Amino acid sequence: MNPSLAEKLVAIVGPRRVLARTSELLAYSSDGLPGYTKVPGIAVFPGTRDELIAVVRELARENAPFVPRGAGTGLSGGALADGVVLLGLNRLRRILKVDVVNQLAVVEPGVVNTVLTREVAPHGLHYAPDPSSQAACTIGGNVAENAGGPHCLKYGVTLNHVVAITAVLPDGTVTSFGNPVGESAGYDLVGAFVGSEGCFGVALEVTVRLQRNPQAVRTLLADFTSIDAAARSVSAIIARGILPAALEMMDAATIRAVEASIYAAGYPVDAEAVLLIELDGFEAGLDDDVATVVSLCTGAGARSVRVARDDAERARLWQGRKKAFGAMGRISPHLVVQDAVVPRTKLPSVLAEIQAIAARHRVRVCNVFHAGDGNLHPNIPYDAHDPDESTRVHKAMREIMETCMAAGGSITGEHGVGMDKLAYMDQLFTTETLQAMCDLRDVFDPKRRSNPGKVVPIHSCREWSMARAARRREGA
Amino acid sequence: MSATTKAVAERVREAHGAQRTLRISGAGTWLTSGRPVDADDTLSLADDRGIVEYVPGDLTLTARAGTRLSEIVAATRAEGQWLPLDPWGGDSGTLGATLSTATAGPHSFSSGLPRDVVLGAEFVSGTGQIVRAGGRVVKNVAGFDLTRLLVGSWGTLGVITEATVRLRARPERARTLAISIAATHTALNELAIRLRALPFTPLASEVVNPRLATHLGLGDQPILLARVGGNEKSVQGQLELLRVFGEQLDVSEDVWDSLRTLDPGDAATWRWSHLSSMFGDTWSAADRSTRALGGSFMHGNPARGLVRVLVQPTARVTPAELVRTAAAFQGTVVMEQLPRSAWPLADSRASDDPTSRAIRDKFDPAGILNAGILGGPA
Repeated sequence: MNPSLAEKLVAIVGPRRVLARTSELLAYSSDGLPGYTKVPGIAVFPGTRDELIAVVRELARENAPFVPRGAGTGLSGGALADGVVLLGLNRLRRILKVDVVNQLAVVEPGVVNTVLTREVAPHGLHYAPDPSSQAACTIGGNVAENAGGPHCLKYGVTLNHVVAITAVLPDGTVTSFGNPVGESAGYDLVGAFVGSEGCFGVALEVTVRLQRNPQAVRTLLADFTSIDAAARSVSAIIARGILPAALEMMDAATIRAVEASIYAAGYPVDAEAVLLIELDGFEAGLDDDVATVVSLCTGAGARSVRVARDDAERARLWQGRKKAFGAMGRISPHLVVQDAVVPRTKLPSVLAEIQAIAARHRVRVCNVFHAGDGNLHPNIPYDAHDPDESTRVHKAMREIMETCMAAGGSITGEHGVGMDKLAYMDQLFTTETLQAMCDLRDVFDPKRRSNPGKVVPIHSCREWSMARAARRREGA
Repeated sequence: MSATTKAVAERVREAHGAQRTLRISGAGTWLTSGRPVDADDTLSLADDRGIVEYVPGDLTLTARAGTRLSEIVAATRAEGQWLPLDPWGGDSGTLGATLSTATAGPHSFSSGLPRDVVLGAEFVSGTGQIVRAGGRVVKNVAGFDLTRLLVGSWGTLGVITEATVRLRARPERARTLAISIAATHTALNELAIRLRALPFTPLASEVVNPRLATHLGLGDQPILLARVGGNEKSVQGQLELLRVFGEQLDVSEDVWDSLRTLDPGDAATWRWSHLSSMFGDTWSAADRSTRALGGSFMHGNPARGLVRVLVQPTARVTPAELVRTAAAFQGTVVMEQLPRSAWPLADSRASDDPTSRAIRDKFDPAGILNAGILGGPA
């Protein structure tokens, strides 16, 4: 890496905030996606908005590619920097403004998701998107990935909660999108920026909506002797018109992993599946909805449906769900955390197919997912040092993704494409669609320096295809 | 790939090659909205209609762009569901136009704006490329979000040919009330704050000025129209909490359609918006300006901080007056319909920033799609 670039960055942020030694950079060589190690060339950590802008402008002058990174909890490899500059944003963690009456907050990108919720809790408000990593992940990272979470079924994903963004584009231009104080006219540039996985620039300030805490909450655990019965209950609840705050499913393998861990939540270990169902909102009539859900689950074959009696029991039921990925860590050294979406009515058939795939490749799939959205997380614990097992895991994963696509679904519901899903993009989208995505990226970053090589496979962009065609012609 | 999509792509490719401008239209109900477009040809999607896929259990529906909202309303009603798009102008417009103009009606605060309702869209870019953005599932982050980009782009980035939308289940019970209120700016600021502090979100809430109340047959005083829904106990509980806002009168659910289909004729319609807590200030500013223009229908959504003004065809509206009233306001003013002569004086900065211009150059490099409808170079 260019030594003079490091010096120039030191001049902006000070020597302690620039890492250039491999031993120091190793700490930033992976994110939440297992199996990849990419060591950045330099890591730089601006502490203020002005420093961040100055750093991005310096990188632009040097024509240096860079990877923005929040907390590095992402599950698609989006924050991996392969020899390029890693731009750490976790020091930009000021909550700039909270407008209680209008239920808005303005935050810097490094603000941790739950820190914002804690800050506004005294006002009876919270920030709704709640990815499982919410105790560590940042709002900037959530914006980049358009993060979801269990409660997005009722309250919507990050996109639905961001009203305005001020960003520094990769060329150093500072610009604002959206409108925090009224409706937005013109193109929905906030909509384009959210979920752009760090390829369109770096958010300096994000204006988010805050949600009023529900007056009442009921958390239910339904216990099933078959995955199919649990999946049919999901469809029955959705079809009845009840919109739970969350509707989560865990299968037997997940239940056992959770119950064997320090996160044991009291799930029935002999169940084939459980549904964790949360109903919230207005107190009046809520128990009628609870009764309806109980009878729908029982009608679909639930052995029992338990309603949490108090906040402690509710928190315990949720802890098992939120820490399920961690609990799987006990089973084996590595874990593939997968993310795909299928139409809700396809859940029973797709889950059955996933079981068949797992049996065929002799791998263990643990399903823990947002059933109400059809957002699957079929996870596979394995040992990456065992080449035979790794091969089987990868084959099974590919077949699972193909099953989801064939069912009319998508390759990612909330984790993003990053590096992990690049290979599926041209199966899911046509060349023309991928080209349109390249075109949009080129508006924000014509040199493709911001998070290079992610989201859209390079070969789907026009210039690359033309160059390839030219090479072929020369070869012929 | 549908044959009609290919035909649209062919038309656009030809127009692009020949540098002929196109006016994109749906059912034509909103043709007079947005800035005037003087195009060489019209590309109508009105006949490209029909529901392509509707799986009630998924609560999603895919339809061709020219499908009338009324067709979707009928199909989903049969399954106890509804499409949470209720644009001004009623259900005679098309799905494609509703998404292209991002028109949002009285249920948009509780049920989402068009950007929140749409899951995917097929469109033809200004060079005739067929793009399939997003998907048919309710949660999807695969690739850059072209769907959001198209919604509200007024046909300037692409011609929407098909879209998938999210549906909702109809509430078990729903009631609509008219509540007498005071419409001073302090009282309305307070009303907006109290409405948002309720432990439930009304399905819709809309303040109506006396002239419009009279037109709707609801007396001659300012009123708050509120719609609540849920199971029986929930509805009763919500009605109980709304009692403190004023005297309640049960009104027909049809009032929402009447509100949406107010015909502004060939006159002016525009929207003022600011923070919800300043709803009363926004209302008062809009009210003052329309008094100067001879009075009008006015209604507003306190939760969104938005006020919509319809100047009746009999009023004398001069362009200078319209633009002056809008320019003095600190919030956002969005023009829906204006007399043709007034448009050149209206603010056109909303989509004239460098990023928006660059996007337009990428998706419609020849500038043939609805040229000038958003302002900027025609």
